[in-house]
Amino acid sequence: MNNDAVLDASTGWLILALFSVAWIWLGWWLGRRAKGLEGFMLAGRRVGLALGTATAMATWVTSNTTMAAPQLAFQMGLWGMVGYSLGSIGLMLFAPLAKRIRELMPNGFTSGEFIRLRYGKTAWRVFLGISLFYAFGWLVSLGMAGGVLINALTGIDYHVGMSVILAVCVAYTLLGGLRAVIGTDFIQAILILTGIVVIAVLAISNVGVDRMHEAVLEERPELLNLLFPAAIMFLFNNLLFGIGEIFHSNVWWSRAFAFREGVGFKAYMIAGLFWTPVPIVAGFVALTAPALNLNVPAADMVGPMVAAELLGVGGAVLVFIVVFSALASSLDSLLAATSDLVLTDIYKGHFKPQASEEQLARAARWVVLILGVATWALCWPRLTTLAELLYLTGAFVASTIWPVAAGLYWKRVNPNGATLAMLLGTVVGLSAYFMVGFYVAALVSAAVSMSLVLLTTWLAPREFEWATLNQGATR
Amino acid sequence: MTISAETLELLIVAATALAAVAPIILLILWVRDRSGGKLW
Repeated sequence: MNNDAVLDASTGWLILALFSVAWIWLGWWLGRRAKGLEGFMLAGRRVGLALGTATAMATWVTSNTTMAAPQLAFQMGLWGMVGYSLGSIGLMLFAPLAKRIRELMPNGFTSGEFIRLRYGKTAWRVFLGISLFYAFGWLVSLGMAGGVLINALTGIDYHVGMSVILAVCVAYTLLGGLRAVIGTDFIQAILILTGIVVIAVLAISNVGVDRMHEAVLEERPELLNLLFPAAIMFLFNNLLFGIGEIFHSNVWWSRAFAFREGVGFKAYMIAGLFWTPVPIVAGFVALTAPALNLNVPAADMVGPMVAAELLGVGGAVLVFIVVFSALASSLDSLLAATSDLVLTDIYKGHFKPQASEEQLARAARWVVLILGVATWALCWPRLTTLAELLYLTGAFVASTIWPVAAGLYWKRVNPNGATLAMLLGTVVGLSAYFMVGFYVAALVSAAVSMSLVLLTTWLAPREFEWATLNQGATR
Repeated sequence: MTISAETLELLIVAATALAAVAPIILLILWVRDRSGGKLW
Protein backbone atom coordinates (compact mmCIF):
# COMPACT_ATOMS: atom_id res chain seq x y z
CA MET A 1 0.00 0.00 0.00
CA ASN A 2 1.01 3.60 -0.50
CA ASN A 3 -0.05 5.96 2.27
CA ASP A 4 0.79 9.08 0.22
CA ALA A 5 -1.76 8.17 -2.50
CA VAL A 6 -3.96 11.12 -3.53
CA LEU A 7 -7.01 8.86 -4.16
CA ASP A 8 -8.41 5.98 -2.17
CA ALA A 9 -8.06 2.50 -3.66
CA SER A 10 -11.82 1.94 -4.10
CA THR A 11 -12.14 5.07 -6.30
CA GLY A 12 -9.05 3.91 -8.19
CA TRP A 13 -10.58 0.47 -8.78
CA LEU A 14 -13.83 2.02 -9.98
CA ILE A 15 -12.08 4.22 -12.58
CA LEU A 16 -9.79 1.37 -13.59
CA ALA A 17 -12.74 -0.99 -14.06
CA LEU A 18 -14.85 1.54 -15.99
CA PHE A 19 -12.07 2.49 -18.39
CA SER A 20 -10.87 -1.10 -18.81
CA VAL A 21 -14.34 -2.24 -19.86
CA ALA A 22 -14.76 0.82 -22.12
CA TRP A 23 -11.41 0.33 -23.93
CA ILE A 24 -11.89 -3.40 -24.42
CA TRP A 25 -15.46 -2.98 -25.71
CA LEU A 26 -14.34 -0.17 -28.04
CA GLY A 27 -11.46 -2.30 -29.27
CA TRP A 28 -13.81 -5.13 -30.13
CA TRP A 29 -16.40 -2.80 -31.67
CA LEU A 30 -13.89 -0.89 -33.80
CA GLY A 31 -11.99 -3.98 -34.85
CA ARG A 32 -14.99 -6.04 -35.90
CA ARG A 33 -14.71 -4.68 -39.44
CA ALA A 34 -10.96 -5.26 -39.76
CA LYS A 35 -10.58 -7.72 -42.62
CA GLY A 36 -7.45 -9.75 -43.32
CA LEU A 37 -3.86 -8.96 -42.47
CA GLU A 38 -3.90 -5.38 -43.79
CA GLY A 39 -7.10 -4.70 -41.87
CA PHE A 40 -5.55 -5.95 -38.63
CA MET A 41 -2.04 -4.50 -39.05
CA LEU A 42 -2.73 -1.29 -40.96
CA ALA A 43 -6.43 -0.54 -40.43
CA GLY A 44 -7.04 -1.12 -44.15
CA ARG A 45 -4.66 1.75 -45.15
CA ARG A 46 -7.56 4.23 -45.21
CA VAL A 47 -7.24 6.17 -41.95
CA GLY A 48 -8.48 9.75 -42.34
CA LEU A 49 -7.09 13.06 -41.08
CA ALA A 50 -9.03 13.28 -37.79
CA LEU A 51 -8.09 9.82 -36.55
CA GLY A 52 -4.60 10.12 -38.04
CA THR A 53 -3.86 13.38 -36.23
CA ALA A 54 -5.29 12.14 -32.94
CA THR A 55 -3.37 8.86 -32.97
CA ALA A 56 -0.05 10.57 -33.74
CA MET A 57 -0.63 13.09 -30.97
CA ALA A 58 -1.96 10.69 -28.33
CA THR A 59 0.76 8.11 -28.95
CA TRP A 60 3.46 10.73 -28.43
CA VAL A 61 1.79 11.86 -25.17
CA THR A 62 3.02 9.13 -22.86
CA SER A 63 2.73 8.81 -19.11
CA ASN A 64 6.11 10.56 -19.12
CA THR A 65 4.65 13.63 -20.79
CA THR A 66 1.84 14.01 -18.30
CA MET A 67 3.74 13.01 -15.15
CA ALA A 68 7.34 13.89 -15.98
CA ALA A 69 6.54 17.32 -17.45
CA PRO A 70 5.50 18.71 -14.03
CA GLN A 71 8.48 16.89 -12.51
CA LEU A 72 10.85 18.48 -15.05
CA ALA A 73 9.31 21.90 -14.50
CA PHE A 74 9.80 21.39 -10.77
CA GLN A 75 13.45 20.34 -11.22
CA MET A 76 14.60 22.30 -14.29
CA GLY A 77 12.05 25.08 -14.36
CA LEU A 78 11.11 26.91 -17.51
CA TRP A 79 13.55 25.10 -19.81
CA GLY A 80 12.45 21.73 -18.44
CA MET A 81 8.94 22.15 -19.83
CA VAL A 82 9.93 24.14 -22.92
CA GLY A 83 12.69 21.60 -23.69
CA TYR A 84 10.20 18.78 -23.32
CA SER A 85 7.79 20.50 -25.68
CA LEU A 86 10.49 20.47 -28.39
CA GLY A 87 9.72 16.75 -28.64
CA SER A 88 7.07 17.91 -31.10
CA ILE A 89 9.78 18.82 -33.63
CA GLY A 90 10.28 15.09 -34.26
CA LEU A 91 6.60 14.72 -35.19
CA MET A 92 6.71 17.74 -37.50
CA LEU A 93 9.96 16.65 -39.18
CA PHE A 94 8.43 13.23 -39.77
CA ALA A 95 5.53 14.82 -41.70
CA PRO A 96 7.38 15.05 -45.05
CA LEU A 97 8.92 11.64 -44.41
CA ALA A 98 5.46 10.11 -43.90
CA LYS A 99 4.39 11.52 -47.27
CA ARG A 100 7.53 10.18 -48.92
CA ILE A 101 7.14 6.74 -47.27
CA ARG A 102 3.56 6.44 -48.55
CA GLU A 103 4.66 7.42 -52.06
CA LEU A 104 7.67 5.12 -52.22
CA MET A 105 6.09 2.13 -50.45
CA PRO A 106 2.31 2.20 -51.01
CA ASN A 107 2.22 -1.50 -50.08
CA GLY A 108 4.81 -1.37 -47.30
CA PHE A 109 4.33 -2.79 -43.82
CA THR A 110 7.27 -1.90 -41.58
CA SER A 111 10.31 0.34 -41.16
CA GLY A 112 12.45 -2.83 -41.14
CA GLU A 113 11.21 -3.69 -44.61
CA PHE A 114 12.42 -0.29 -45.86
CA ILE A 115 15.92 -0.78 -44.41
CA ARG A 116 16.15 -4.30 -45.93
CA LEU A 117 15.13 -3.13 -49.39
CA ARG A 118 17.17 0.08 -49.25
CA TYR A 119 20.41 -1.11 -47.64
CA GLY A 120 20.41 -4.94 -47.64
CA LYS A 121 20.30 -7.65 -45.03
CA THR A 122 23.22 -6.65 -42.79
CA ALA A 123 21.85 -3.15 -42.28
CA TRP A 124 18.38 -4.69 -41.76
CA ARG A 125 19.63 -6.92 -38.92
CA VAL A 126 21.52 -4.08 -37.25
CA PHE A 127 18.41 -1.91 -37.54
CA LEU A 128 16.17 -4.65 -36.16
CA GLY A 129 18.51 -5.02 -33.16
CA ILE A 130 18.27 -1.28 -32.47
CA SER A 131 14.56 -1.07 -33.11
CA LEU A 132 13.57 -4.08 -31.01
CA PHE A 133 15.85 -3.03 -28.14
CA TYR A 134 14.21 0.39 -28.16
CA ALA A 135 10.69 -1.04 -28.47
CA PHE A 136 11.22 -3.37 -25.52
CA GLY A 137 12.84 -0.59 -23.49
CA TRP A 138 9.80 1.61 -24.14
CA LEU A 139 7.28 -1.20 -23.55
CA VAL A 140 8.88 -2.16 -20.23
CA SER A 141 9.19 1.46 -19.11
CA LEU A 142 5.50 2.05 -19.95
CA GLY A 143 4.36 -1.14 -18.23
CA MET A 144 6.36 -0.27 -15.13
CA ALA A 145 5.18 3.34 -15.25
CA GLY A 146 1.59 2.01 -15.30
CA GLY A 147 2.12 0.03 -12.11
CA VAL A 148 4.08 2.77 -10.37
CA LEU A 149 1.63 5.56 -11.28
CA ILE A 150 -1.48 3.59 -10.35
CA ASN A 151 0.18 2.76 -7.03
CA ALA A 152 1.21 6.38 -6.45
CA LEU A 153 -2.21 7.77 -7.32
CA THR A 154 -4.49 5.19 -5.72
CA GLY A 155 -2.42 2.93 -3.49
CA ILE A 156 -3.34 -0.13 -5.60
CA ASP A 157 -0.46 -2.63 -5.51
CA TYR A 158 2.19 -2.14 -8.23
CA HIS A 159 1.87 -5.71 -9.57
CA VAL A 160 -1.92 -5.50 -9.78
CA GLY A 161 -1.97 -2.09 -11.50
CA MET A 162 0.78 -3.04 -13.96
CA SER A 163 -0.97 -6.34 -14.79
CA VAL A 164 -4.36 -4.65 -15.31
CA ILE A 165 -3.11 -1.94 -17.65
CA LEU A 166 -1.05 -4.40 -19.70
CA ALA A 167 -3.91 -6.92 -19.88
CA VAL A 168 -6.38 -4.23 -21.02
CA CYS A 169 -4.08 -2.93 -23.77
CA VAL A 170 -3.20 -6.45 -24.97
CA ALA A 171 -6.89 -7.41 -24.97
CA TYR A 172 -8.15 -4.58 -27.16
CA THR A 173 -5.13 -4.64 -29.48
CA LEU A 174 -5.73 -8.37 -29.89
CA LEU A 175 -9.41 -7.86 -30.60
CA GLY A 176 -9.18 -4.99 -33.04
CA GLY A 177 -5.58 -4.55 -34.23
CA LEU A 178 -4.57 -1.07 -35.44
CA ARG A 179 -8.22 -0.01 -35.91
CA ALA A 180 -8.81 -0.50 -32.19
CA VAL A 181 -5.55 1.28 -31.35
CA ILE A 182 -6.32 4.30 -33.54
CA GLY A 183 -9.99 4.52 -32.54
CA THR A 184 -9.23 4.46 -28.82
CA ASP A 185 -6.37 6.92 -29.39
CA PHE A 186 -8.89 9.48 -30.66
CA ILE A 187 -10.92 9.35 -27.44
CA GLN A 188 -7.75 9.25 -25.34
CA ALA A 189 -6.41 12.36 -27.14
CA ILE A 190 -9.61 14.27 -26.32
CA LEU A 191 -9.49 13.13 -22.67
CA ILE A 192 -5.81 14.01 -22.25
CA LEU A 193 -6.15 17.49 -23.79
CA THR A 194 -9.35 18.34 -21.93
CA GLY A 195 -7.98 17.07 -18.60
CA ILE A 196 -4.74 19.05 -18.70
CA VAL A 197 -6.54 22.21 -19.86
CA VAL A 198 -9.03 22.02 -16.96
CA ILE A 199 -6.19 21.65 -14.43
CA ALA A 200 -4.21 24.47 -16.08
CA VAL A 201 -7.17 26.88 -16.13
CA LEU A 202 -7.83 26.18 -12.46
CA ALA A 203 -4.17 26.74 -11.62
CA ILE A 204 -4.17 30.07 -13.49
CA SER A 205 -7.46 31.29 -11.97
CA ASN A 206 -6.86 30.03 -8.41
CA VAL A 207 -3.19 30.89 -8.02
CA GLY A 208 -2.47 33.43 -10.75
CA VAL A 209 0.75 33.74 -12.73
CA ASP A 210 1.95 36.80 -10.75
CA ARG A 211 1.66 35.02 -7.40
CA MET A 212 3.23 31.89 -8.84
CA HIS A 213 6.13 33.91 -10.33
CA GLU A 214 6.69 35.74 -7.06
CA ALA A 215 6.70 32.57 -4.94
CA VAL A 216 9.05 30.67 -7.28
CA LEU A 217 11.38 33.67 -7.45
CA GLU A 218 11.56 33.71 -3.66
CA GLU A 219 11.98 29.97 -3.05
CA ARG A 220 13.50 28.48 -6.24
CA PRO A 221 14.76 31.38 -8.43
CA GLU A 222 16.87 29.04 -10.60
CA LEU A 223 13.64 27.61 -12.08
CA LEU A 224 12.94 30.90 -13.81
CA ASN A 225 16.52 31.36 -14.98
CA LEU A 226 16.74 31.54 -18.76
CA LEU A 227 20.40 30.47 -18.65
CA PHE A 228 20.03 27.32 -16.50
CA PRO A 229 22.88 25.20 -18.06
CA ALA A 230 21.67 21.68 -17.16
CA ALA A 231 18.23 22.48 -18.55
CA ILE A 232 19.63 23.86 -21.83
CA MET A 233 21.68 20.65 -22.35
CA PHE A 234 18.57 18.61 -21.64
CA LEU A 235 16.74 20.62 -24.29
CA PHE A 236 19.14 19.68 -27.13
CA ASN A 237 19.47 16.04 -26.14
CA ASN A 238 15.73 15.67 -25.85
CA LEU A 239 15.28 17.17 -29.30
CA LEU A 240 17.62 14.65 -30.97
CA PHE A 241 16.38 11.74 -28.89
CA GLY A 242 12.82 12.51 -29.98
CA ILE A 243 13.77 12.78 -33.66
CA GLY A 244 15.64 9.45 -33.47
CA GLU A 245 12.73 7.75 -31.73
CA ILE A 246 10.22 8.88 -34.33
CA PHE A 247 12.32 8.50 -37.49
CA HIS A 248 13.19 4.85 -36.93
CA SER A 249 10.29 3.43 -34.92
CA ASN A 250 7.69 1.29 -36.58
CA VAL A 251 5.08 3.00 -34.39
CA TRP A 252 5.30 6.00 -36.73
CA TRP A 253 6.04 4.11 -39.95
CA SER A 254 3.02 1.84 -39.49
CA ARG A 255 0.85 4.95 -39.26
CA ALA A 256 2.43 6.39 -42.41
CA PHE A 257 1.42 3.15 -44.18
CA ALA A 258 -2.04 3.12 -42.57
CA PHE A 259 -3.04 6.71 -43.38
CA ARG A 260 -5.04 7.48 -46.51
CA GLU A 261 -3.10 9.00 -49.40
CA GLY A 262 -2.48 12.70 -48.74
CA VAL A 263 -3.15 12.42 -44.98
CA GLY A 264 0.33 11.62 -43.56
CA PHE A 265 1.93 15.04 -43.98
CA LYS A 266 -1.01 16.99 -42.57
CA ALA A 267 -1.67 14.52 -39.73
CA TYR A 268 1.91 14.59 -38.42
CA MET A 269 2.21 18.35 -38.84
CA ILE A 270 -1.04 19.11 -36.95
CA ALA A 271 -0.24 16.45 -34.32
CA GLY A 272 3.15 18.13 -33.73
CA LEU A 273 1.46 21.51 -33.39
CA PHE A 274 -1.11 20.16 -30.92
CA TRP A 275 1.55 18.27 -28.96
CA THR A 276 3.82 21.33 -28.49
CA PRO A 277 1.79 22.97 -25.68
CA VAL A 278 1.11 19.70 -23.80
CA PRO A 279 4.36 19.56 -21.72
CA ILE A 280 4.03 23.30 -20.95
CA VAL A 281 0.37 23.05 -19.91
CA ALA A 282 0.94 19.84 -17.94
CA GLY A 283 4.24 21.12 -16.56
CA PHE A 284 3.69 24.68 -15.39
CA VAL A 285 1.20 23.61 -12.69
CA ALA A 286 4.25 22.32 -10.80
CA LEU A 287 5.47 25.92 -10.49
CA THR A 288 2.38 26.70 -8.40
CA ALA A 289 3.62 24.35 -5.64
CA PRO A 290 5.62 27.08 -3.80
CA ALA A 291 2.65 29.50 -3.95
CA LEU A 292 0.35 26.78 -2.62
CA ASN A 293 2.85 25.99 0.18
CA LEU A 294 2.86 22.35 -0.86
CA ASN A 295 5.43 20.08 0.71
CA VAL A 296 6.33 17.77 -2.20
CA PRO A 297 7.93 14.52 -0.93
CA ALA A 298 8.94 13.29 -4.41
CA ALA A 299 9.27 15.43 -7.53
CA ASP A 300 7.32 12.94 -9.67
CA MET A 301 4.22 13.44 -7.51
CA VAL A 302 4.08 17.22 -7.88
CA GLY A 303 1.48 17.15 -10.73
CA PRO A 304 -1.13 15.00 -8.93
CA MET A 305 -0.52 16.87 -5.65
CA VAL A 306 -1.17 20.27 -7.22
CA ALA A 307 -4.28 18.94 -9.02
CA ALA A 308 -5.60 17.43 -5.78
CA GLU A 309 -4.92 20.69 -3.93
CA LEU A 310 -6.75 22.77 -6.57
CA LEU A 311 -9.62 20.42 -7.32
CA GLY A 312 -9.82 18.06 -4.36
CA VAL A 313 -10.76 14.47 -5.17
CA GLY A 314 -12.05 15.60 -8.57
CA GLY A 315 -8.57 16.84 -9.49
CA ALA A 316 -6.95 13.57 -8.49
CA VAL A 317 -9.56 11.64 -10.50
CA LEU A 318 -8.86 13.87 -13.50
CA VAL A 319 -5.11 13.25 -13.24
CA PHE A 320 -5.74 9.51 -12.99
CA ILE A 321 -7.91 9.55 -16.14
CA VAL A 322 -5.33 11.64 -18.04
CA VAL A 323 -2.47 9.36 -16.97
CA PHE A 324 -4.43 6.18 -17.72
CA SER A 325 -5.33 7.51 -21.18
CA ALA A 326 -1.75 8.59 -21.86
CA LEU A 327 -0.41 5.19 -20.82
CA ALA A 328 -2.96 3.21 -22.83
CA SER A 329 -2.57 5.34 -25.98
CA SER A 330 1.18 4.69 -26.09
CA LEU A 331 1.19 1.08 -24.87
CA ASP A 332 -1.36 -0.11 -27.43
CA SER A 333 0.46 1.64 -30.30
CA LEU A 334 3.77 0.17 -29.28
CA LEU A 335 2.32 -3.31 -28.88
CA ALA A 336 0.73 -3.16 -32.34
CA ALA A 337 3.76 -1.67 -34.12
CA THR A 338 6.30 -3.96 -32.43
CA SER A 339 4.20 -7.01 -33.22
CA ASP A 340 4.12 -5.89 -36.88
CA LEU A 341 7.92 -5.67 -36.84
CA VAL A 342 8.32 -9.08 -35.18
CA LEU A 343 5.78 -10.66 -37.54
CA THR A 344 7.06 -9.17 -40.80
CA ASP A 345 10.78 -8.91 -40.21
CA ILE A 346 11.48 -11.75 -37.80
CA TYR A 347 8.78 -14.41 -38.30
CA LYS A 348 8.22 -13.97 -42.04
CA GLY A 349 11.58 -12.41 -42.88
CA HIS A 350 13.73 -14.97 -41.09
CA PHE A 351 11.69 -18.11 -40.39
CA LYS A 352 8.61 -18.44 -42.62
CA PRO A 353 9.20 -16.56 -45.87
CA GLN A 354 6.46 -18.58 -47.61
CA ALA A 355 3.81 -17.97 -44.93
CA SER A 356 0.35 -17.30 -46.40
CA GLU A 357 -1.73 -14.26 -45.49
CA GLU A 358 -4.03 -16.41 -43.34
CA GLN A 359 -1.05 -17.84 -41.44
CA LEU A 360 0.35 -14.34 -40.93
CA ALA A 361 -3.00 -13.00 -39.75
CA ARG A 362 -3.19 -15.80 -37.17
CA ALA A 363 0.44 -15.33 -36.14
CA ALA A 364 -0.12 -11.56 -35.76
CA ARG A 365 -2.47 -12.17 -32.82
CA TRP A 366 -0.09 -14.64 -31.20
CA VAL A 367 2.75 -12.15 -31.51
CA VAL A 368 0.69 -9.43 -29.73
CA LEU A 369 -0.10 -11.90 -26.94
CA ILE A 370 3.49 -13.13 -26.57
CA LEU A 371 4.82 -9.56 -26.56
CA GLY A 372 2.31 -8.64 -23.86
CA VAL A 373 3.29 -11.62 -21.70
CA ALA A 374 7.02 -10.96 -22.21
CA THR A 375 6.56 -7.30 -21.22
CA TRP A 376 4.55 -8.33 -18.16
CA ALA A 377 7.27 -10.81 -17.10
CA LEU A 378 9.99 -8.15 -17.47
CA CYS A 379 7.92 -5.59 -15.55
CA TRP A 380 7.07 -7.96 -12.69
CA PRO A 381 10.34 -7.70 -10.68
CA ARG A 382 10.09 -3.87 -10.83
CA LEU A 383 13.77 -3.45 -11.57
CA THR A 384 14.42 0.26 -11.96
CA THR A 385 17.43 -0.55 -14.11
CA LEU A 386 15.01 -1.85 -16.75
CA ALA A 387 13.15 1.45 -16.83
CA GLU A 388 16.48 3.22 -17.17
CA LEU A 389 17.06 1.21 -20.35
CA LEU A 390 15.00 3.83 -22.11
CA TYR A 391 17.60 6.52 -21.36
CA LEU A 392 20.25 4.27 -22.88
CA THR A 393 18.28 3.90 -26.09
CA GLY A 394 19.01 7.55 -26.98
CA ALA A 395 22.41 6.41 -28.26
CA PHE A 396 20.78 3.65 -30.33
CA VAL A 397 17.91 5.54 -31.94
CA ALA A 398 19.83 8.72 -32.76
CA SER A 399 22.22 6.62 -34.91
CA THR A 400 19.31 5.79 -37.25
CA ILE A 401 18.26 9.40 -38.02
CA TRP A 402 20.63 9.86 -40.95
CA PRO A 403 20.40 6.38 -42.50
CA VAL A 404 16.59 6.68 -42.47
CA ALA A 405 16.26 10.27 -43.69
CA ALA A 406 19.06 10.08 -46.27
CA GLY A 407 17.81 6.69 -47.45
CA LEU A 408 14.40 8.15 -48.19
CA TYR A 409 15.67 11.10 -50.23
CA TRP A 410 19.19 10.44 -51.58
CA LYS A 411 19.69 7.90 -54.32
CA ARG A 412 23.41 7.54 -53.73
CA VAL A 413 23.69 6.67 -50.05
CA ASN A 414 26.27 3.94 -49.52
CA PRO A 415 24.55 0.93 -47.84
CA ASN A 416 27.71 -0.16 -46.02
CA GLY A 417 28.16 3.40 -44.81
CA ALA A 418 24.59 3.41 -43.48
CA THR A 419 25.20 0.11 -41.63
CA LEU A 420 28.46 1.39 -40.19
CA ALA A 421 26.76 4.66 -39.23
CA MET A 422 24.17 2.80 -37.13
CA LEU A 423 26.78 0.54 -35.53
CA LEU A 424 29.46 3.13 -34.76
CA GLY A 425 26.95 5.85 -33.91
CA THR A 426 25.48 3.54 -31.26
CA VAL A 427 28.87 2.45 -29.88
CA VAL A 428 30.29 5.97 -29.63
CA GLY A 429 26.98 7.33 -28.31
CA LEU A 430 26.96 4.65 -25.60
CA SER A 431 30.56 5.48 -24.67
CA ALA A 432 29.56 9.14 -24.34
CA TYR A 433 26.61 8.08 -22.16
CA PHE A 434 28.87 6.28 -19.70
CA MET A 435 31.86 8.63 -19.87
CA VAL A 436 30.11 12.02 -20.00
CA GLY A 437 26.39 11.70 -19.20
CA PHE A 438 22.93 10.86 -20.54
CA TYR A 439 22.53 14.34 -22.00
CA VAL A 440 25.16 13.85 -24.71
CA ALA A 441 24.43 10.25 -25.82
CA ALA A 442 21.93 11.09 -28.57
CA LEU A 443 23.91 14.14 -29.69
CA VAL A 444 27.19 12.20 -30.11
CA SER A 445 25.48 9.22 -31.72
CA ALA A 446 23.70 11.40 -34.30
CA ALA A 447 26.90 13.34 -35.07
CA VAL A 448 28.96 10.17 -35.67
CA SER A 449 26.21 8.59 -37.74
CA MET A 450 25.79 11.74 -39.85
CA SER A 451 29.54 12.01 -40.50
CA LEU A 452 29.74 8.38 -41.63
CA VAL A 453 26.73 8.58 -43.94
CA LEU A 454 28.04 11.77 -45.56
CA LEU A 455 31.65 10.59 -45.80
CA THR A 456 30.93 7.13 -47.25
CA THR A 457 28.37 8.53 -49.70
CA TRP A 458 30.87 11.14 -50.86
CA LEU A 459 33.73 8.62 -51.18
CA ALA A 460 31.78 5.67 -52.60
CA PRO A 461 28.28 6.61 -53.83
CA ARG A 462 25.92 3.77 -54.86
CA GLU A 463 22.99 4.16 -57.21
CA PHE A 464 19.55 2.99 -56.08
CA GLU A 465 16.30 2.47 -57.95
CA TRP A 466 13.35 3.86 -55.96
CA ALA A 467 11.02 1.40 -57.67
CA THR A 468 12.74 -1.41 -55.72
CA LEU A 469 10.99 -0.18 -52.58
CA ASN A 470 7.56 -0.53 -54.13
CA GLN A 471 8.12 -3.86 -55.86
CA GLY A 472 9.89 -5.39 -52.89
CA ALA A 473 7.23 -4.37 -50.42
CA THR A 474 4.41 -5.91 -52.43
CA ARG A 475 3.19 -9.20 -51.02
CA MET B 1 18.62 36.31 -16.48
CA THR B 2 15.12 35.65 -15.18
CA ILE B 3 11.91 35.40 -17.17
CA SER B 4 9.44 38.16 -16.31
CA ALA B 5 5.96 37.42 -14.96
CA GLU B 6 4.44 38.92 -18.13
CA THR B 7 6.44 36.70 -20.49
CA LEU B 8 5.72 33.64 -18.35
CA GLU B 9 2.02 34.49 -18.41
CA LEU B 10 2.10 34.90 -22.20
CA LEU B 11 3.77 31.50 -22.60
CA ILE B 12 1.34 29.73 -20.29
CA VAL B 13 -1.81 31.38 -21.65
CA ALA B 14 -0.76 30.77 -25.29
CA ALA B 15 0.05 27.10 -24.58
CA THR B 16 -3.22 26.59 -22.68
CA ALA B 17 -5.24 28.27 -25.45
CA LEU B 18 -3.66 26.05 -28.12
CA ALA B 19 -4.24 22.92 -26.01
CA ALA B 20 -7.87 24.01 -25.46
CA VAL B 21 -8.48 24.53 -29.17
CA ALA B 22 -6.89 21.20 -30.16
CA PRO B 23 -9.74 18.86 -29.07
CA ILE B 24 -12.30 21.14 -30.75
CA ILE B 25 -10.39 21.00 -34.03
CA LEU B 26 -10.05 17.22 -33.68
CA LEU B 27 -13.81 16.93 -33.26
CA ILE B 28 -14.46 19.22 -36.26
CA LEU B 29 -12.09 17.10 -38.37
CA TRP B 30 -13.87 13.97 -37.15
CA VAL B 31 -17.28 15.32 -38.21
CA ARG B 32 -15.86 16.44 -41.57
CA ASP B 33 -14.19 13.05 -42.22
CA ARG B 34 -17.28 11.15 -41.14
CA SER B 35 -19.66 13.13 -43.33
CA GLY B 36 -17.26 12.76 -46.28
CA GLY B 37 -16.92 9.01 -45.72
CA LYS B 38 -13.20 9.45 -45.02
CA LEU B 39 -13.01 8.44 -41.37
CA TRP B 40 -11.51 5.00 -42.09
